[in-house]
Amino acid sequence: LRVLIAEDDVVSRRILETILRKWGHEVVTTLDGEEAWQAMREPDAPALAILDVMMPEVDGLEVCRRVRELSGATPPYIILLTAKHGARAIVDGMEAGADDYLIKPYDRDELRARVQVGVRIVELQTRLAGRVRELEGALEHVKQLQGILPICSYCKKIRGDSDYWQTVESYIADHSEAEFSHGICPNCYETTVQDQLASFRASLEPVV
Amino acid sequence: MSAELLRMDNYLAQSPTQRARANSGGAATQVIDPVMLASLDEAWAEGEPDLVVELIDLYLGDAPQWVDAMRTAAAGNDARVLKRAAHTLKGSSGSLGIAQVAEACRMLELNCSESAARVDELFQQLDREFATARAALAAERMRRVA
Repeated sequence: LRVLIAEDDVVSRRILETILRKWGHEVVTTLDGEEAWQAMREPDAPALAILDVMMPEVDGLEVCRRVRELSGATPPYIILLTAKHGARAIVDGMEAGADDYLIKPYDRDELRARVQVGVRIVELQTRLAGRVRELEGALEHVKQLQGILPICSYCKKIRGDSDYWQTVESYIADHSEAEFSHGICPNCYETTVQDQLASFRASLEPVV
Repeated sequence: MSAELLRMDNYLAQSPTQRARANSGGAATQVIDPVMLASLDEAWAEGEPDLVVELIDLYLGDAPQWVDAMRTAAAGNDARVLKRAAHTLKGSSGSLGIAQVAEACRMLELNCSESAARVDELFQQLDREFATARAALAAERMRRVA
C-alpha cells in the first residue's frame, strides 16, 4: 500500500520510513504538515497517512481537518503519531478526523497491527467504491427504462430519444442488456394465427 | 542436553532485541540504550547500509542546530523557540535510544517558561548530556564501520 508519513524529526522519520518499507509498503515521505497536505490533495494521494501531530506551521490535526474536507470516493485512513498523552489529546485527534492514534515512543508491533487495520479498511473501502460504481452504471440503464414513454396506441411503437418511432423490442434492446426470441402466445394463436393458418390452408387446396 | 547447552540453545533462539534486553543489566548507565540499538538492527533490511550508522549521521548532522537554537532561546528568554527545539530533539534522541538527552529535553520543554536561572540550569544539564551522547554516538559509529 502507498503510505504517507509526515514527520519533521529527521531520525524518527527515517526509522518510520525504514520499517514501513520493510513491511512491504511504498512510502511517500513528507517533512512537515504543509508538504503532507499538498501530497494528500493529489489525485493519486496515498490511501493511508501517518501524521506527527506537533509539526511547525501546519500541524497534524490541521492536515487531518483539511483532508476530511476533501470529497473523494475513498477517504484516506489517518493515524496520528504523537508524544501527547491523555484522553483530551486523543479526543482532539479523533474530532479532527483521525481514524487512529498512537503515542510515542510507539511499540513497533503495535504500529504494525494498527497499520494492518488501516490496510484492511482501505481495501474494504476500495472494494465498496468499486461496487458502488458498478451499481451506478447499472442504475443508469434502469433509469433509461423508467419514466413516461410515448407509445403508439395502434402499432405499439415507442417514440425514442431522438423522436424516432421504434418497435418495442428494438427500443428495449437499445436501452438494456435484454435480447428477444420471438414466439406466439396462446391467446394470439387462438384469436389471430389459427384463422390465418386456416385461410392459408384453404388457399392451398385445389380449386374444383 | 546439559543445562549449559540448553541455556545456549535458548539464547540463540532469541531475537537481537531479546538478547540485548537480557544482556542489558547495566543499561541504565549506558548512554545509548542497547535494546533500542538492537531493535533498530532488527528493522534494518538486508543488503542496505547499516541503519544505525545512517541514523547516527542524521542525528549528529541535525541535533547541534537544535542545541544551538535552545542556547540562543534560553539566553533570550524565548520560550516558544525553546519549547519547539526541545520537543524536536526529544523526539530524535528518544528514537535513537539516547534517554538522558531525551529526558533533559523533556524537562526543558516542560519548564520553558520558568525563570531564566531555572531555564539556564536545565539547558546546562542538556548541554552536558548532549556532549556525552555525541562522544558515545561517534564511538558506536566507529565500532560499526570498523
